[in-house]
Amino acid sequence: MLAIESDALSKVYKSGVFRRQEVTALTEFSIQVETGQIFSLLGPNGAGKTTFIKMLLSLAAPTSGSASVLGRRLPDVRVREKVGYLPENHRYPGYLTGEQVLRYFGALGGAPSSALPGRIGTLMELVGMSQWRTMKVKKYSKGMMQRLGLAQALINDPEIIFLDEPTDGVDPVGRKEIREILRDLKRRGKTIFLNSHLLSEVELVSDRVAVLDKGHLLKVGTVDEMTATGQAYVIGITGTLPDPVTVAARAFVIGLSQQGENVTAECRTIAELNQVIDLLRRNNVEITSVTRQRSTLEDSFISLITGEGRP
Amino acid sequence: MKIITLVRGTIRELAAKATLYVLAGISTLMLIFAALAIGADSTADGMSITFFGKPASPPVTHDTLADLAGKLEAGFAGGLFFGVVVFGVFGTAGVIPDALEKGTVDLYLSKPIARWQLLLGKYLGSVAVIFLNILYFIGGLWLIVGVKVGVWNTQFLLSAFLLTYVFASLYAVVAFFGVVSRNMAIAIIAGILYLLLVAGPLEGRQTGLYLLSESGIYRGILDGLYYVFPQIPAMESGAIHLISGEQAQLTPFAQSLLSAGGILGVAAWLLHRKDF
Repeated sequence: MLAIESDALSKVYKSGVFRRQEVTALTEFSIQVETGQIFSLLGPNGAGKTTFIKMLLSLAAPTSGSASVLGRRLPDVRVREKVGYLPENHRYPGYLTGEQVLRYFGALGGAPSSALPGRIGTLMELVGMSQWRTMKVKKYSKGMMQRLGLAQALINDPEIIFLDEPTDGVDPVGRKEIREILRDLKRRGKTIFLNSHLLSEVELVSDRVAVLDKGHLLKVGTVDEMTATGQAYVIGITGTLPDPVTVAARAFVIGLSQQGENVTAECRTIAELNQVIDLLRRNNVEITSVTRQRSTLEDSFISLITGEGRP
Repeated sequence: MKIITLVRGTIRELAAKATLYVLAGISTLMLIFAALAIGADSTADGMSITFFGKPASPPVTHDTLADLAGKLEAGFAGGLFFGVVVFGVFGTAGVIPDALEKGTVDLYLSKPIARWQLLLGKYLGSVAVIFLNILYFIGGLWLIVGVKVGVWNTQFLLSAFLLTYVFASLYAVVAFFGVVSRNMAIAIIAGILYLLLVAGPLEGRQTGLYLLSESGIYRGILDGLYYVFPQIPAMESGAIHLISGEQAQLTPFAQSLLSAGGILGVAAWLLHRKDF
């Protein structure tokens, strides 16, 4: 089942006295997110990531196109009963304690009042905020606010959780904890839609990733698909390649280079890779490993944004 | 249920702001002053109201004393009206713009609540806080007059509802500008300017604005505007008459209810169309 589906969703913001100035935030954006996945939307500032979430939550109306969440075509206020949202730069009432914030927004989300105390306790513990639950929010640090925001997004036991920069301002230990929470939520069948600038983190938790730039979808796929770099393989060997072997190998691959005890062979087909391996073995070169060469998600992202890696 | 949660949340929000404690403090000072000043003296000729121990009225019968006490209370209620408007608008004008601020509105509207519910919850919460403040003052004064003069004018207690009703009508205008501008200062200025430059002149149009032109169209427009907007001065005057036990026209109250409802409806429609 699809948790989120958008079909040619576009958004043009109009501003100015006569609303004549137009800013295109999103252009014919179509994606499908399966239930139970961690899906990340990546893009530079102003790419349209937050606009997309806001349209799914009916905070902004689409200029054209359509979208549905959990099978319900938007706008539909009932969808929000099953959705949790951690906005970027959220502002909680400073005069409330963390616990009161959860009670207030939990009640607005329709959670039964009898269930709230137990749920608040569980969530405060989950996000590591139990000892500060009675402290006023105005005294919270940025990281504590993010943790509280995550708990708030989960207070109504949602099926889909939208998180906009959830680890912003959180220390490395806290980030790891949040990653664990996300994985745990996924194990429990929740769908997580993540907007983040922290590509290394996205890489660690996401099932699928979409890259957006200036409102246009550039690429969508699994993290493996996004980071694969064609048919380049890294062959681990002991020692160095004899020159005649290098020359012979270069005859049937696109490129071959050696760095330390790693030989990188850029092949057109798997058959070419096997030819290289056969050649090395015939020449008594000891092979310790063969792995497909990958770039980091950050490299792939930058390559896409700068246009080098666009399909 | 969600509207009640929003109302309670707004009461808590306003309780956290110093402005309303200032209003409660001023009310308390006025009540202390009233408790020290107001008294009654019984003589062979009847009873008289005293002010700091000195007779403020000739000795009268108990019935006449009740009338005098009613007028005294009506005077206080009239005086309170200005305080309610100024402090009430200042203290509550930020409620709706704050709720619509980036980072806050996202939290509200990501919950299964309609935008009109958010507006209504915040509106009713603000009005409820002002009602509590008015009730504190009116209730306190009613007790003081009752205990010290021996006149228990239940009609005076009604004035707490009347004054709240008048404030609620004006607050619809403040809420409207809060939605349109999302700015507290603009909402305050618009509310006060409406009171001074629209409601007041329209109320006295027959002796003021009518003199600018004899055109039937012009005067018709003025009359139309008078019936479109909440009639704050007419309600204030009606409230004072009612507290004094006199007859008062109820039409301004009914018309203002429709008008304030219409203004809130337009505000809800504008809010519904906004992108956040």
